[in-house]
Order: sequence, then C-alpha cells, then structure tokens
Amino acid sequence: MIKLTTHNQADRMIALIAFDRAGKRNALTPEMLTELIDLAPKAAADHDAIVLTGEGKVFCSGFDLALCQTTPDGDIMRQLLTGLSNACQTLKAIDKPVVIAAHGAAIAGGCAILGGADVVVTDTHAKLGYPVTKIGVSPAVSAPFFGASVPKGVCREKLLLPMLFFGAHAHKIGLAHLLTDEPEQVLDLALETAANLASKPPHAYAATKRLVAKLEDPNQSETARKGLTASLQLTGKPEEQRMLGALTF
Amino acid sequence: MEPQAHLETNDTIATLVLNRPDAHNAMSIGMLNAAHECMDKLDAMDTKPTVLVITGAGRSFCAGMDLKEVIIDEDPTIPRQLLETLARLTHRIRLFPAVTLARVNGAAIGGGCGLSTVCDISITHEDAKLGFPEVDLGLCPAVVAPWLVRKIGAGKARQVLLTGGLMSGARAAEFGIVTHAVESREQLDEAVSGAASALATGGPDALRATKSLLNTLDGSEDLDILLEAAALSASVLSTEDAQNRLKSRRK
Repeated sequence: MIKLTTHNQADRMIALIAFDRAGKRNALTPEMLTELIDLAPKAAADHDAIVLTGEGKVFCSGFDLALCQTTPDGDIMRQLLTGLSNACQTLKAIDKPVVIAAHGAAIAGGCAILGGADVVVTDTHAKLGYPVTKIGVSPAVSAPFFGASVPKGVCREKLLLPMLFFGAHAHKIGLAHLLTDEPEQVLDLALETAANLASKPPHAYAATKRLVAKLEDPNQSETARKGLTASLQLTGKPEEQRMLGALTF
Repeated sequence: MEPQAHLETNDTIATLVLNRPDAHNAMSIGMLNAAHECMDKLDAMDTKPTVLVITGAGRSFCAGMDLKEVIIDEDPTIPRQLLETLARLTHRIRLFPAVTLARVNGAAIGGGCGLSTVCDISITHEDAKLGFPEVDLGLCPAVVAPWLVRKIGAGKARQVLLTGGLMSGARAAEFGIVTHAVESREQLDEAVSGAASALATGGPDALRATKSLLNTLDGSEDLDILLEAAALSASVLSTEDAQNRLKSRRK
C-alpha cells in the first residue's frame, strides 16, 4: 500500500513515495506506516530527495477508523499511534530534502505526518486539521511535530478545537509552506521544490537541517515519547470505545 | 452586594464572569479573589465541564489592574498581593482540566489581556481594544509575559510588550494574541457559542490529555516563574517613577 518510483526532475533523482490506497482516501493502516518507516531511509540513501504523496484525490484522510473498530481494546489504534510517531521521527531524521505533497486533504494522522517534512505543499482549498477528540482520541501524539511547525498558541488551538481548516489557512499559520490554486498542481510544485533543495550542497543542507531540528527541540525523541504516551493512555478506554464505536461508514 | 465574579454552569460548558462592569472589570484583589472562589467551585465539581468560558460583564472584558489598588498610599503590600493573586489565577486557569475559551467582549488591557492570553482559545471582535500598555506607565508586564511568549513566540512577544500601547481586536488576531476576531460585537456570541459547542463535541478525556500534554511541553506547569514575575512587577511598580505616572493617570 506504499509505492516507490523514481522521478527525474531537473537531473535530480527524486524518490516519489506514494500512499497507494486511493479507494480508501489513503486511510492509514499499521502496515502502511511500517512500510513507510522502512522504505523512507532506504529511498533517501538511493536518491537526492524524497517527495511523499498520495494516490487519488487526497493525500491522506487519517487512520483507517473502520479498521480501528475491529479491535475495541485499542490494539490497532495503538499500533497506528505508535507508527505515526515513529514515521514522523523517521522522516525528520532524514538528512536529505523531504517534501510532502498534501493535495485535497490531510486530516488527523494525515495532517500529523506533515510535521515530518522540510517543506509542505498544499492547495488553497485542501482540508486539513486534527478533529480527533470527537472520536475520543487525543492528538497529543502530533503535538511535538505540529508544535515545531507553528506558534505554540496556534498548536494549542488547532489540537483542541476539532475543526478542519483550508490549505490557505495552513499556509498562513506556517503548517504549509507553498500553496497552489489547484490540487493537480501540488505534486508538480513538490517535485520542483525537492529538485531545487537537492541542488544545494548536501553536507550544508544536512548540517543545517540537523541544527534547525536541534534548535526546535534538543530533546526531540523524549518530547515525541511524551506525546505518544499521552495519546496511548486513552486507547481502548471507555470514551474512545464509545465515540469511535459510534462512527458509521 | 453582587459577587465580583460569578460562575454559570450549563451541562458541559461553564462560564466565569468577571463582574465589576462599572469599573470595566478592573482587577481588584476582591475581584481576583472572587475569581479564585469560582475556580474553587469548579475544582470541587465531581464532573468537570468540558469547556470553561471566561468573560466580562458589561462592555469590557477586563481593563487591567485597578489603579486605586496599585497606587501606594497606605499599604505598600497590596500591589504585590494583587500581582501574586493574578499570577496564581492565571496558573489555575491554564491547568484547569477543561478547554478554556476567552470571550473578549471589549477592552482587554494589561493583566486583562493576560487573562485572555492564558486561555486555550480566545475570540474577540475587530473593534475591541487589547494590549499591554504597561511600559507606557512605567510598569513591567512580567506576569503576563510568560503566557504571551508561549502563545505567540518570543520575537512577537518582545515587539508587543516593549512597544506597549493598545491595538484593535483585528490586529490582535494578526499577532495571534487572540485566536479569532469577528467583524462586530454583535457577532461575538454566535462565534463563541459555535466554538464552545464544537469543543464540547470532543471527548473530555481526550481534551484533558491533550491540554495536559501541551502544558507539559510549553512549561505552563511552572508556577515559580510566575511568582518571580509577580515580585519583579511589584518591584518596578513601587518605584517613584511608576507611582508618579500612575498618580497622574488617575487624575
């Protein structure tokens, strides 16, 4: 459910990694996150940059909630939350450029994963956000990554208020860095951006990326652990069982 | 005599109202203590509300410190008491296990703007007057500074606190001091009600866990820094220059 192709963009070899579950709006399964965690560092080693995208009309609609309902004890949700945190950390740890092409929608876990990118490209009317408290899930797992992208006050508001916002707003608050009018243009702009970043001297790019990450948070793995722990403590508990169980598909 | 702050509860949403409308809800020790009593009642509830709205009675949210209490005529300990009481109130509001939503219905000045800043979400209208004019009065906005830095970042907070003055609700929204500014005062209640209702759709445990984690990550649990800030603010306030400026302002 993850597809890797190589794209030659201005003589730079770009690893194009795509969530390949268009029929389910690229809803994440534990296997998809495991594949991404395994694949991304290998792809980075063999290419000049990475672009992460999604097949079909949207980048990613979040966790596969129908799948989560199959384990009321929270087992799937636990795997997804852990995989999401690990995926964000894996992407952030890659020294080469990582660009995410988030067209159409990046919701909940799909929005959280944007925190792993150096540059996020989206479209003006894409829908983004973290409306997961409505299903009894804490978006705390996303806080360490989202909080590094936007002002803390904005992070607080967006994680607590379960409402979606448009790509234009994501651009305004700093969650997205480049904006196009049409969703169909997002991938092209992401590839161009990745090639441009890959044209920088690699050692300078890597050193700068590591420095910025350290300045953002010198204890990044510990912060990520705290966020994950806060979300995990609710999985399989009555509130989540009740609210998640009430969803119909 | 009406209490200087009171609590209204409605199922999952509670509202703490600052209630000195004739004084634009300026912060006296009496009003701050009344707000603490409201927090005591909330703490004592077996089932906590999911959302706590904080607002002001009348046309102002909170006009800042009551000048009558910070001008040192008789009891020089009162300004320090007031600032410490404010510091502890902001800390309690931040740590309260419900999402806090400031309904900034009008002027929110100095410590009053700080009360809005400490809330998780704040909504005002474009014509409201907000800001931190303390430096203009020879004062140091120390108690509110940690909250503002956490909300909008050190760079913008530096600009806002050192520039002083007031700004419109619209400008406050641009800075991120408030979450959103509706066009007119008449639209405020609908916006606040919509946000409160949306928040209340969230699972209370999920909201509490998320808020608690955010407080841990941004250092909100640290009371000592607020008490140090209160001491610093009281010290600057007691200088001759500050007292002269405050007295001329009162005239």
